[in-house]
Amino acid sequence: MAETASDLRAQLEPPPLIEGRHDDGTLNKTLNDFVWRRPPRGWLALLLLGMAGTGVLFTAITITIARGIGMWGNNIPVGWAFGIINFVWWIGIGHAGTLISAILLLFQQKWRTSINRFAEAMTLFAVMQAGIYPILHTGRPWFAYWMIPYPSTNSIWPQFKSPLMWDVFAVSTYFTTSLLFWYIGLIPDLASLRDSSTSRRARVAYGIFALGWRGSARHWHHYKIAYLLLAGLATPLVLSVHTIVSWDFALSILPGWHTTIFPPYFVAGAVFSGFAMVLTLMIPARRYMGLKHVITARHLEAMAKVMLCTGLIVTYGYLMEHFAAWYSGNPYEQHVFFVTRPRGPYAWAYFTQMFCNVIVPQMYWFRWARRNVWTLWVGAVLVNVGMWFERFNIIVTSLHQDFIPSNWAMYYPTWVDFSLLFGTICFFGTLFLLFLKFLPAVAVSEVKELNHELHGHRGHPGAEGAHP
Amino acid sequence: MKRFVLGEFEEPHACVVAVRRLRESGVGGLDAYSPHPLPGIEDALLLPRSKVPLVALTGGLLGAIGGYALQWYLNSIAYPITVGNRPQHGFWTNIPITFESGILIAVLSIFFGSIFGFFQLPRTYHAVFESERFRTASLDKCWVSAETEDEAALEELERKFREVGAHKVHNVVESV
Repeated sequence: MAETASDLRAQLEPPPLIEGRHDDGTLNKTLNDFVWRRPPRGWLALLLLGMAGTGVLFTAITITIARGIGMWGNNIPVGWAFGIINFVWWIGIGHAGTLISAILLLFQQKWRTSINRFAEAMTLFAVMQAGIYPILHTGRPWFAYWMIPYPSTNSIWPQFKSPLMWDVFAVSTYFTTSLLFWYIGLIPDLASLRDSSTSRRARVAYGIFALGWRGSARHWHHYKIAYLLLAGLATPLVLSVHTIVSWDFALSILPGWHTTIFPPYFVAGAVFSGFAMVLTLMIPARRYMGLKHVITARHLEAMAKVMLCTGLIVTYGYLMEHFAAWYSGNPYEQHVFFVTRPRGPYAWAYFTQMFCNVIVPQMYWFRWARRNVWTLWVGAVLVNVGMWFERFNIIVTSLHQDFIPSNWAMYYPTWVDFSLLFGTICFFGTLFLLFLKFLPAVAVSEVKELNHELHGHRGHPGAEGAHP
Repeated sequence: MKRFVLGEFEEPHACVVAVRRLRESGVGGLDAYSPHPLPGIEDALLLPRSKVPLVALTGGLLGAIGGYALQWYLNSIAYPITVGNRPQHGFWTNIPITFESGILIAVLSIFFGSIFGFFQLPRTYHAVFESERFRTASLDKCWVSAETEDEAALEELERKFREVGAHKVHNVVESV
């Protein structure tokens, strides 16, 4: 290999965080361009599709409420099925947003800056979808507020020793924190939208949500600390949320659920699927919204690496589950891991899971796969599918053959189940499309700050990350 | 009637230097405005340490104590449920909700404490917005303002602003 030192150096040098030279003015223009542009046809078409799917969702919800959860395929022994699979899947997807916005902020990973707004919005919308399922699954969703401890004339109070109650607190705290963290980050950008708006209507609308922010140094002084503290609180919170979700399973005695490895394995799986979803959404969005200069190959590559790493943790979780089942000597445990899952009637789901979550991410060991948008996107979609099937295997496959064979039964989802899954995907997409159009998809003020940090004063090539 | 002298700067760094020089030359009621946090502005304005962490700590502790007390009172006194003869007051099973409520109240107090307390927002009017040009403060320029009640001092202030490098200087009057 006759490669010169400079060739090698160029290969080792990571792609830049911000491509090209920009000042605050051009960043404003390019990052907010999609907000001010007339809605493109493609966006309108997608929005229409999303809204049609949202209609399907609300129809399915109406049917579930009107006729009861007998409309779902759930039975005994498979009492938890699509409802909880989808709940865990959506919550897991949300976790990447918090990881990017909070944990990577604490670790001072500069590449998080251009993608954090996007990922946080994904978190919010994913948690909203997740919330729909357990509420419907209570059977009488109009009494869902009974889960909140409030003084009623019945003097009946919730049972706090149940992981399901912990879930109520964890998910609602998670949603509130994500919303406020997202909003406080948005305030300076809303102010800049207010100030660059040309129509009075936009000025008033953004003005209301900007709360009169004027970028005062006395405010920034508190703002920076508040933002950092929110990140510091969101970090243990996100770990606790999926830990508590995993306790819904691990604290029961069902073989396949009763495992101490569940909390870390669930958290890693959540981050794994969440990064997959960020990539799935971001690769097309950065292209059509003209954001390639701030979401560069460096960002995509970093996300692929996180996916590879969390994918390996998940693989370790799978191995450990099988090992613990074998080592325990418990015939029920062994039955689940060595008979039901790989050789039972749902074996196809098991092998889909293993292929998507264990085999597919291995391609990200290679640079060509991390740098090519197609391998990234297809891999990310497959990981999303794989993580859905992981929850399917944990829930349905474990439940359908539990202890006494006379208790076993197959589970078949109904069209209402499928409509709810399809409908939440569309509802999520609709919310996301609206977000992309009406709010800055990239944290403009943070990118400006990063730009100054990277390039120093305008026109003077700065230190780290600057490139010729 | 409050009056503000406003000066626009191209560079964040120039803005910080200007604030320091203005303060050293005895100008009071200074503030700076920028689209993103200015490094070093805290020292230039001699801002005291932020009290946000104190608010967060107080909120977090109150939330955690409240969360624990709630579970203890409701499950062991107000409405005891006996399941398999387990103790009514379960210390370990109370931990997750104690943690979550601590975080929740800390987050709420940081957010609302900052918005209502430290930022004094939302507000529909501030004199600096009287200047149409001030829009750039959230876009791509930095601004410095000095507040005064004394109309006679305006000219002197404007001169000082020009001296430290502001390339657009004007004054606004609070209209309420």
